[in-house]
Amino acid sequence: MFGKFRNIVQKTTRALSYVGMAFIFPMMLLTSTDAAGRDIFSRPVRGAFEMSSLMLSIFILLGLAYAQQMKDHVRVTILIDRLPVRLSCTISIITTLLSMFIVAAMSWQGVVVAIESSSVTDMLRISQFPFRLLVTLGGILLFLEFLFDLVDEARRFVE
Amino acid sequence: MIADPVFIGILGALGVFLLIFLGMPIAFAMMFVGFVGISVLSSVDAALPVTASTMWETVSFYPYTVIPLFVIMGSFAGSSGMTTELYASFEKWTRRVPGGLAVATIGACGAFAAVSGSSVATAATMGTVALPEMERFKYDPRLSTGSIAAGGTLGFLIPPSIGFVVYGMLTEQSIGKLLISGVFPGILLMFAYAFVVVMWVKLQPGAAPMIAEPVSWKEKIRAVNGVKEPLFLFLFVIGGIYAGLFTPDEAAAVGATTLLLVAFLKRKLTWPALFKAMTESLRISAMVLMLVAGANVFSYFMALSTIPVQAANWVTSLQVSPYVIVAMILFIYLVLGCFLDAISMMVLTLPVVFPIILALHFDPLWFGVIAVLMMEAGLITPPMGLNLFTVAGVAKGISLETIIKGATPFLAAIIVVAFLLTVFPEIALYLPRMMKG
Repeated sequence: MFGKFRNIVQKTTRALSYVGMAFIFPMMLLTSTDAAGRDIFSRPVRGAFEMSSLMLSIFILLGLAYAQQMKDHVRVTILIDRLPVRLSCTISIITTLLSMFIVAAMSWQGVVVAIESSSVTDMLRISQFPFRLLVTLGGILLFLEFLFDLVDEARRFVE
Repeated sequence: MIADPVFIGILGALGVFLLIFLGMPIAFAMMFVGFVGISVLSSVDAALPVTASTMWETVSFYPYTVIPLFVIMGSFAGSSGMTTELYASFEKWTRRVPGGLAVATIGACGAFAAVSGSSVATAATMGTVALPEMERFKYDPRLSTGSIAAGGTLGFLIPPSIGFVVYGMLTEQSIGKLLISGVFPGILLMFAYAFVVVMWVKLQPGAAPMIAEPVSWKEKIRAVNGVKEPLFLFLFVIGGIYAGLFTPDEAAAVGATTLLLVAFLKRKLTWPALFKAMTESLRISAMVLMLVAGANVFSYFMALSTIPVQAANWVTSLQVSPYVIVAMILFIYLVLGCFLDAISMMVLTLPVVFPIILALHFDPLWFGVIAVLMMEAGLITPPMGLNLFTVAGVAKGISLETIIKGATPFLAAIIVVAFLLTVFPEIALYLPRMMKG
């Protein structure tokens, strides 16, 4: 049951990260076109700047949980690698719980802050609301990745 | 308010270090302690929204697009087959130099660094090309792996460099100027590394047997061809920033697009390579920006605690030369570099260190170069030198200990360059001063 749930969640995380990843190309081409247009023809792309910002937010927020899945978020393991298994597991469980706490706070506040702010981008008047909600979506997936790590640590402790 | 804010701030700083050494991911440790600190010094209601709004502001901040773009540009450069050509070209010119293959490795690393912003990528890609060659000619494994680990660090100093981007963001300095200021120090460090190799082989001729086969001038001239691609790209991208033609973000986008086209036209662009480049860009950027978001929450807490201002005041009131203080900061960086990676080190220390540097009237660009240089040292200092592990991953059958021993002599080069930059800051500052704006 749990294994199935985990499988589905992690697949979703990967799929969403691929969606985010794809935005690197429009970001690259749009910025190049904008620069070339401005330098050569004195005609920059209207709103290129803010579209790039929004694309960056999709790119990163959808990638946050994937980065955790791949254990990319840097940590120092020099001490806990040298401790007895039980002690290192206990410590890891505590630090993972703290990470989960702060990510949960961020995800919850993602909705609150998104609702409170009714901001639109300067030039194209695009509403930031849906993009801001990605803080919550990315946060929830990140939270679940930490939850899976927690289960792994707990299992290691029992063994 | 219950307690002295400075006291809470110090507790918080200790707390972050404790959590980091207990293995909590650094980004989340900083965000967590920042959150708790703001809750204590202000209120929970004030602290809660800071987490989400800081995250949003970080990931939607246009100048940060430079990070994924620089990373993907480096990946495209790696998959376009540039490294093999570069190495072959340098080798033709350095064959008569003692330790010629190792010197060529350093040179090719420096040239590749001019199109790649990551030192790990530089060490990994050059390692796969240069190591088998040095093995074939019976080089001492310490010399061969050490020169790759050290050469790889050039990726961090020679622009494009993610290190300068993050430094610029955290300290509100012009990223363009920072990138440009890394050019001369990078070249200087490259020569210093080459000098270490030559001295090593002079002292221990057995470490690098001379290759007997001579190279004709014709071959040497033809070899220059292998350098033209990265050189052109560097002049275009970094030259474009220097001339004020592009912002760093635009330069990165234009550079990446150009390389993508080159790889496509050369038929080196495969789906797996493209996918790898995208994944790499996403993973590195997500990691770096999460760190920056965590650091921003933590900085907010630090600012509330008034520690940065107090520390700067205290340091300026000391009756010692400012250079003694810089030397102490650099020493701390050297020690921290043994345990932390470069970007983490920057985000952790700059909120407090940077105000001190400003209060002592040092040039922020100059300090950026010095700080980046020290973080390069961190890449090759055990036990947590990232480049050491990278080379260990590429060099099958060579122990980590050998690599550590091989990389250590190159630390001397970094320290000498840091010293030279302190005595002659113009090495770093000449080019950015000539820039417009």
